[in-house]
Amino acid sequence: MINRIIRALVYFGIFVLLQILVLNNIHYLRIATPFLYIYCILKMPVGMSRSSLLCFSFFTGLLIDMFSNTPGMHAAACSLAGFLRDPLLTFLKGEDLPKGLYPSYHSLGHAGFLRYMFLFVLIHHLTLFLVEALTLFDPLFLSIRIIASVLTTSLLICVVELFNFETQKIGE
Amino acid sequence: MRKLLDFLLEKKHWFLLILFEVISFTLIYRNNSYQRSVMINSANYASGYVLSVAGYVQSYLNLRTINRNLQEQNGQMEMQLLDLQEQIEVMQADTVTFKGAVSDSARIFPFQFVIAEVVNNSISQLSNYITINKGRKDGIQLDMGVVSEQGVVGIVSNVSDHFSVIISLLNPKSKLSCKVLGNNSFGYLTWDGRDADYAILEELPRHAEFHKGDTIVTSGYSAIFPAGLIVGVVDDFYKERDDNFYALRVKLATPFSSLQHVRVIQNAYRNEQIELEKEARKND
Repeated sequence: MINRIIRALVYFGIFVLLQILVLNNIHYLRIATPFLYIYCILKMPVGMSRSSLLCFSFFTGLLIDMFSNTPGMHAAACSLAGFLRDPLLTFLKGEDLPKGLYPSYHSLGHAGFLRYMFLFVLIHHLTLFLVEALTLFDPLFLSIRIIASVLTTSLLICVVELFNFETQKIGE
Repeated sequence: MRKLLDFLLEKKHWFLLILFEVISFTLIYRNNSYQRSVMINSANYASGYVLSVAGYVQSYLNLRTINRNLQEQNGQMEMQLLDLQEQIEVMQADTVTFKGAVSDSARIFPFQFVIAEVVNNSISQLSNYITINKGRKDGIQLDMGVVSEQGVVGIVSNVSDHFSVIISLLNPKSKLSCKVLGNNSFGYLTWDGRDADYAILEELPRHAEFHKGDTIVTSGYSAIFPAGLIVGVVDDFYKERDDNFYALRVKLATPFSSLQHVRVIQNAYRNEQIELEKEARKND
């Protein structure tokens, strides 16, 4: 239990700091910004209670909001994505996933993890950009931004997942 | 009763979700109104501290460009100095019209600057904000104007003791009253959310004369900016749908992507002007 909390905090610290200090400043071709921080929600263990996962996602989002001056936007997107994570896993893999399993290439299979990750990123980004569009609506530009950001975030998560020490250890 | 409680406990994540979404949307909408929450933005102490450490590291990386800009500015000022000295000499030689180079001390120039460093800056979002490392204790108040060496940056929207947040020109919420240099018809500068180098000057009356490459400056019709600060250069123009106004595409003078030092403008007569305008409106 303690291990799990420490693990969650380490993931949280690394990826939130990375997002605030580095990735928030990236706007590739002025349209794509990767939101890698949702990786720490993505990697929470299966079987964690839905309410605690929801709380964790909400506060992660709120912290990002605090630093990027977007009050509420990331919090709204993260809580929806965190809420839909368990139904998403059940939808992709059925009910038979063992408790305490960490989603990874190894545990879900390459295709399984990619599908799970892509849908999760899509849910988060769609909510985020649609909420953001409440202030200014421009359909074409909005869809370009969503597609580009989903692609960059997914790509980054794939790479990070490949180099994740934890996953490699289990994979041995 | 028991069953009801069991049902509620079983579905507690649904209630949590609704609660969190309500909180988030309250934050989003409260932030759009004039009364903004001070806690959840980068002017609060904790986030301001982290960002200022990051800004401190980043400022070393840009020393070369800053140095070059300062030298350029230095050169320009030297030229200006020479120019003014020459003018004084000419005036002194022409003793009939010379009344002395001493300025009229009864009329004080009401605008003053506070120099601040940018600790957080965004250009990629739809609503962009800039955080600086000066706050209430340095004399910064809500709705003060902010400029850089190159041009207008934005308006102060949140102030804490040591930090403040600026609504930059790259934000659909900011509306800046501007005019074309050399004629007095004015319009409003807004941002369309696309390109960090360009903004749109709307509602410029149709009879206004201008050409591509003309300079756009602040109009000075508010207590925020003095008149004549450079905003940008006309890049392109088109008529708005109802054909009574022009809309201009303006290339902004401020390089928002590499902003490092800004100046906050304090207007000594600001409160007086606002009070007066308020009183005038009361009679409506």
